[in-house]
Amino acid sequence: MTSKPQLPQGFLTGVRIIDFSWKTVGPWATRMLTPYGAEVIHVEPPHRPDDHRFEFRPVYGDAAKNQIAFRDAPDSPAYYTTPNFSHLHAGKLAINLNTRHPEGKELMEQLVKVSDGLSENFSGGVLDSWGLGWDRLKELNPKLVYLSLSGYGHKGEWGSYRSYGPSAQASSGLTFSSGLPDKNPAGWGYSYMDVTGGWCGGLGMMMGLLRMKRTGEGVYVDYAVTEAAMAMLGPFFLDYQVNNRPTRRPGFPPGNRSIWPEVAPHNTYRCAGIDRQGQDWFVFIACETQEQWESLVEVMGKPELLGDPRFITMQARRENQDVLDDIISTWTAPRRRYEIMTVLQQAGIIAVPIQNAEDRVEYDEQLRHREMYPVIAHPEVGEFEMERYPPRLSRTPADNTGRAPILKEHEEYVFGELLGIDSVGMSRLREGGVI
Amino acid sequence: MQVFEGFTVVELADRRNQFIGKLMAESGARVIQIEPVEGAPGRWIGPFADDQPDPNKCLDYWWYNTGKESAAIDYTRKPGADFVREIALKADVFIESTRPGTLAQYGLDYATLSAANPALIYLSFTDFGQDGPWVDFEMNDHAHLALGGPMGSSGYSDPHETPIGGQRNHAYNMSSVMATHTITGALFERLSSGLGQYIDVAIHDVVGISTEAAVPYWLWYNQAALRQTGQHAAVKYRPTTQILCSDGKLVQVTMPQLPLNGWVQLVKWMEEVGVAGELSDEKWRDDFYRADRLRNGDEIHEGIIRLLSKVTSEEAFHRGQALGMAWAVIRAAEENMNLDHYKQRDYWQPIEQPEIGKTILYPRALLTNDELGTRPTRRAPHLGEHTAPILKNDLGVEDAVIEAMTKTGVVR
Repeated sequence: MTSKPQLPQGFLTGVRIIDFSWKTVGPWATRMLTPYGAEVIHVEPPHRPDDHRFEFRPVYGDAAKNQIAFRDAPDSPAYYTTPNFSHLHAGKLAINLNTRHPEGKELMEQLVKVSDGLSENFSGGVLDSWGLGWDRLKELNPKLVYLSLSGYGHKGEWGSYRSYGPSAQASSGLTFSSGLPDKNPAGWGYSYMDVTGGWCGGLGMMMGLLRMKRTGEGVYVDYAVTEAAMAMLGPFFLDYQVNNRPTRRPGFPPGNRSIWPEVAPHNTYRCAGIDRQGQDWFVFIACETQEQWESLVEVMGKPELLGDPRFITMQARRENQDVLDDIISTWTAPRRRYEIMTVLQQAGIIAVPIQNAEDRVEYDEQLRHREMYPVIAHPEVGEFEMERYPPRLSRTPADNTGRAPILKEHEEYVFGELLGIDSVGMSRLREGGVI
Repeated sequence: MQVFEGFTVVELADRRNQFIGKLMAESGARVIQIEPVEGAPGRWIGPFADDQPDPNKCLDYWWYNTGKESAAIDYTRKPGADFVREIALKADVFIESTRPGTLAQYGLDYATLSAANPALIYLSFTDFGQDGPWVDFEMNDHAHLALGGPMGSSGYSDPHETPIGGQRNHAYNMSSVMATHTITGALFERLSSGLGQYIDVAIHDVVGISTEAAVPYWLWYNQAALRQTGQHAAVKYRPTTQILCSDGKLVQVTMPQLPLNGWVQLVKWMEEVGVAGELSDEKWRDDFYRADRLRNGDEIHEGIIRLLSKVTSEEAFHRGQALGMAWAVIRAAEENMNLDHYKQRDYWQPIEQPEIGKTILYPRALLTNDELGTRPTRRAPHLGEHTAPILKNDLGVEDAVIEAMTKTGVVR
């Protein structure tokens, strides 16, 4: 166990956040603070470590015990700091604390007093059940920024309802607005609203910290992921009210075509080859201007299309998209996707392959140039590549060397150094199941 | 106090960056959008009120520009560039999305502005950042969803079907959230140092890390995934999580875990409607067995399909939630507007739109919080609505000069 952690120097140096997050949405909100030097203390219950340490294995009942067995088994990997945990908790500290134990609650209260922020994404009422609702937190520390992330927010009749990213996407309209017409929604093949939803929560925390620094006042942010999700769809609500046009209408969603702006072509086109899973490769092509259309026609070697009344204006091309898409598909079908990108981009046309994770890591020259996968070191895992935190700041750059903590790694620092508990007291707390 | 109260933001109008200014305007910042005299690109996206193209009636523009002021100034012409520079020198934050190297000729680059205003926080919010082999690529929002990964993970459980990107500016939106977070952090830092700085945010960088576990799993395990209808891409096809209810609507059944208490009640519900079948068997109460079959079998999913075929989507949602299941109705966006829950949270905010002679409701953007002040209160500006007041009151330009500049088309 190390004591005082080595954290990067940044503009959040000296800012301490208690992080009760789990899954993805909560961890992302606080993950955005560690590149700037914040001390984010990730708190895990002693008998139920964060399930992302265990590749999503179930965390209840007897199966939870299986996690411990997994960790302790002689034939399991030496580490239990998995890809998800490593990426979502990079730069954080880790302690175990039983907050339902009276002494655990007392320790929590002491931590609240010496912290600037607290973040959690529990179901409604969990902190209240510990006796640590906002009224008590504010009493303990009037400057505290308290971010509570939940699917529907705690205020309102659905305040106790649960949600994962896909649930928030479904509820908000995000799922419904992604797909081909006349099919079930394709939705999102990952938890868009756990990642971006987490970023929105992280913005709430950062705004709270800024306001606290300006006013000296704490704030409670009851952040509902479904509300942020709806904000991603703002114009739909306006179109519904102003033009009486709902999104639940024939032909919507339109796949990869564009309704607004009124642009065509604007679609995906099958090209040569398949990926490792046997899925066809596609490119996305769009012509937003007449010049781009004329360039596309030239590159495809089909000058006759220029005078074709079906394609002579943007409006005509929109009205004849089925034929237009067939023509473009015929051209792309025998060609390689990056070759299509190169030749069309050289002609000033929007054209990119649909990249999967492998493509972005192995073949994306831009991300490689931008050093988006720095190598970091971990005492149990060794060295590995990790996704870089993207923003580049000239004077106070984001740090990209932070690694995820080992289970209980910072117990000595947090309970010993911060809260002043001596070794005898620590032993007693461990024996009592408090930490 | 609203969190950005007292700060002035100058935004060079662009479809990509307008969400950043909106988020800051709704939390108290004064946001001045510098538009071309023919109108910001965002004014021509559509849909339009009554489907009549009009730069002051574009609903997409209305949404992304609540609370801002519009100064229509052509900064590519000499007096225009001087005006914009003067405005920027009094600002706290400057946001631009031009191609790298464009603004130096107008004296609007970071080096020029920061020399005179060292406290300025200057954000370049572009497709690929300031450098790299793809920096001159032509892009739009959907292209970012394609190149950055969201589409690579999203689509249908059919290896020959196209990947799908969601409708409505998601790449710009998600990158704007991260950019606003960064600006907020830079303002936090500036309270101590008194200094601004330059921020480079590339939309491709941000979208590229947005796909949850996809990249980490490739980096660690070289694991490639299959797109699946309505759910996470995974190494093998899995049973559907979009389940049809008796009213013809779909419910998203996301259920990574199924603890015993919820399981017992779920089976009781299945028994009530006569569809439990073998799921009533005691063996399903074993945590290990149930967890394994939830991950690797289809019996539980089939049971839920039978159950939901007998109940309405709303009943499935509410009773499922009562059992601790994070199920959700797959709603069209507008179907949320009549739900009491969001009304109780004061989520919808009325804004008067004189262009159509009525008041309409806007969602709060991202956060419902009165203390931070996140609330849209003013409609988007009309083209050039604040040009004259800004030139006159902020820069002290005389009426006659403004009139002359208007005639020559430098301002509007």
